[in-house]
Amino acid sequence: MSLVMDAPAAHPMARSDVSEKISIRGLDFFYGQTRALKSISLPLYRNEVTAFIGPSGCGKSTLLRVLNRMYDLYPNQRAEGEVLLDGENLLSPDIDVNLLRSRVGMVFQKPTPFPMSIYENIAFGIRLYERVSKSELDDRVKAALEGAALWNEVKDKLHASGLSLSGGQQQRLCIARTVAIHPEVILLDEPASALDPISTAKIEELIDDLSEQYTIAIVTHNMQQAARVSEYTAFMYLGELIEFDRTRRVFTSPDKKQTQDYITGRFG
Amino acid sequence: MASIYAGRRRKHAIVMALCIAAAVFGLAFLLLILGALLWHGLWGLTPAVFTEMTPPPGGSGGLLNAIVGSLIMTVLGVAVGAPVGMLAGTYMAEYGRYSRLTMFVRFINDILLSAPSIMIGLFIYEVLVVRMGHFSGLAGAMALAVIVVPVVVRTTEDMLLLVPGPLREAAAALGLPRSYVIIRIAYRAARAGLITGVLLAVARISGETAPLLFTALNNQFWSTDLGAPMASLPAVIFQFALSPYKDWQQLAWTGALIITFAVLTLSVLARVLARQRVTQ
Amino acid sequence: MSIRVQMPADSSEATRADGDAVVMKAVSMASMPRTRLAARDRRQVLRRLQLSDRGFHVITQLAAAAVLVILGGVILSLVLGSLPAIREFGFSFLTSQSWNPVTDKFGALPAIYGTVITSVLAMIIAIPVGIGIAIFLTELCPPSLRRPIGIAIELLAGIPSIIYGIWGLFILAPFLQQFVEPALIAMFGPIPVLSRLFAGPPYGIGIFTASFILAIMVLPFITAISRDVFETVPPVLKEAAFGIGCTTWEVVRKVVIPYTRLGVIGGIMLGLGRALGETMAVTFVIGNAHKISGSLLAPGTTISATIANEFTEAVGDVYTSALIELGLILFVITFIVLAVSRLMLMRVQRRAGAS
Repeated sequence: MSLVMDAPAAHPMARSDVSEKISIRGLDFFYGQTRALKSISLPLYRNEVTAFIGPSGCGKSTLLRVLNRMYDLYPNQRAEGEVLLDGENLLSPDIDVNLLRSRVGMVFQKPTPFPMSIYENIAFGIRLYERVSKSELDDRVKAALEGAALWNEVKDKLHASGLSLSGGQQQRLCIARTVAIHPEVILLDEPASALDPISTAKIEELIDDLSEQYTIAIVTHNMQQAARVSEYTAFMYLGELIEFDRTRRVFTSPDKKQTQDYITGRFG
Repeated sequence: MASIYAGRRRKHAIVMALCIAAAVFGLAFLLLILGALLWHGLWGLTPAVFTEMTPPPGGSGGLLNAIVGSLIMTVLGVAVGAPVGMLAGTYMAEYGRYSRLTMFVRFINDILLSAPSIMIGLFIYEVLVVRMGHFSGLAGAMALAVIVVPVVVRTTEDMLLLVPGPLREAAAALGLPRSYVIIRIAYRAARAGLITGVLLAVARISGETAPLLFTALNNQFWSTDLGAPMASLPAVIFQFALSPYKDWQQLAWTGALIITFAVLTLSVLARVLARQRVTQ
Repeated sequence: MSIRVQMPADSSEATRADGDAVVMKAVSMASMPRTRLAARDRRQVLRRLQLSDRGFHVITQLAAAAVLVILGGVILSLVLGSLPAIREFGFSFLTSQSWNPVTDKFGALPAIYGTVITSVLAMIIAIPVGIGIAIFLTELCPPSLRRPIGIAIELLAGIPSIIYGIWGLFILAPFLQQFVEPALIAMFGPIPVLSRLFAGPPYGIGIFTASFILAIMVLPFITAISRDVFETVPPVLKEAAFGIGCTTWEVVRKVVIPYTRLGVIGGIMLGLGRALGETMAVTFVIGNAHKISGSLLAPGTTISATIANEFTEAVGDVYTSALIELGLILFVITFIVLAVSRLMLMRVQRRAGAS
């Protein structure tokens, strides 16, 4: 129990009853010479949804891509500072990036089903890490699809191409695929911005369910969405973290004027 | 004012008529060539062409040994050249997308793509034929493999670059090692395009003559021995067409028809496939 | 239990399990141990994959390097093969007109001359026609015909050169000999300089026929690249010119061609590179005569035709080596032309990518 409270340099918002799954400390990020993130420090609490809001270009997606080291795929991008996942600095060069990504899953703005069947889309990741029997695999695929509230819609066409689904279904397939390999954290990068309102509502409902088991970070440009799905909200502007607090507070009585201006629609 | 305008109109009309004439000119040659091939080639297209060996002057025969030789060397050439080209293209589009090596290889590869194929023949002659002491089907196949490489490198790189970045990121986000992302996801997404590249390579080498002349040489008899000189359709056409014998010239036409038919079929097939390019 | 501060990576599993057990919500209890287990297995799986992952990276890199090795091998083998001839003839190989296998005296000038003259003539024919077709395809052609005609032109590029050769020998050469060449001789006969170029009996086989065949062969390359670069012209530029009342020709002349000049020249150079190295089609119709003749209608030879015709029959080191040195000269010429072409096209691509 004392574990969390003993953690050094805890964020002012750190609370004793919830532990920090991820602690970001003094994080800077560079695209070549451009500093895209400036000394960001904040926690992501275990099994809670944290939303990142701010005008486009504020660095919220960049921050998300640090959390699973996605930026590693590209040259001239680098992060400095500390990001602790259960105490381990995931920016450290000797961390196994693939293992990290299997623990920190990600869902993208545009649905990205793999060019294979619905079943394979999910079985693919499971098979990579585990040797499972056919029946167990079937169960796992089913469980993942159920977890993503997609099972009822696709159970009769598991072997159809993942590309044949609608946009909203594709996105839930991607979530199912992520959940299937049992990550600990799920990063959602504007997961509903390409979807219609009904699909968006389904995804939001799903996020709510998932937060029971997973620590979730969601980037959104939609403030109502942030208010609906998240427990905590971080407002970012020009690469800086302006405000981080319980979502309720950020939206009702923000500390900073910039936050208030953004939330009331005065800019952004 | 009006006369200036009329002058401009006239000039426009003349140039545009010339452009149309140019297009007709270009298309006419395609038709003339195909027409001549059909006219001369079909006369000799008998079952014997596919069942009998190339004849001595004045004798009757077919092209069986040449067809089989061409098939063997083409298949072997693609089997050796395509994997190398595909892997190199993979490096350029994936691991080394931003590296200097890639820029340099791309430049050199584009030059190899248009380099005179007869030089490839000289190269393999020096490297294999001189070493082995004799011409061989193997040397012919290797010369063809060297020609396959740049074709496949080019299409593989182009097609992999068309695979959307987010798809790669999504695969990486599952924790897949890079090679898995490439082999299981990117290759799969670009499958149609990759096959197109191989088909184009086959089309390219199945009509190549120059690099075979002093590597595989030719062989009037049946031989599937890769260590011995091997007949090929293009080499037979070359020999027979330039001969004074009518029978040989007839066989040359028929061989030309077969090659053209095969090459055009492959090109059209590749084009149909290329329309799909990348899934998604 | 403040071990969290600088926890070594390996002990994190156990510690995390402790922490979790306390703070975890009741609902997720069941699934958590499974997650833990999976994470440990995963680490092992990924370690195992690491080697093959690394291996694949290295293999692809080696394959990319193989492309360079091939070019290096071509250069090296040509240079080494040429050494005996270079030692024997030195610089005079480039300037000598003799080609005598009996006395082993060889000079490359007739072949170089033939190569250059046939390619240049081919380009003179193919450039206006190729660009004309490209203009037709991008500006005039009804959209429904654009694809089929484009494909037909590209099929022309796919036809193997030996087919052009046999067609040139049996169809084109007799046709030119009977109809075109006599007309040319009659037409240019009275004109002082040109009468020399089109002098002599109409052989049918010779420089002129070879150039004509080459022109047809490089036509598709010039057309395809010109069309592609014409399509990179931003529509607004063309619309602006049309908007002030320009005719199509004026738009092409004043907007499209200036904008794409570099790319078109690149395409032309690419076609030239092809023409210079083209072997089989030329070999059939050039006549293989090692002499420089004033008339374009006379037989001649090119570098590649000489090699194709004589290499397997060459006896003696010097003869073989002289032929390989011809190949080296061809390599140098085409390499320069193709390299310039590529650099130009790369600049066009970069500009198209930037806009």
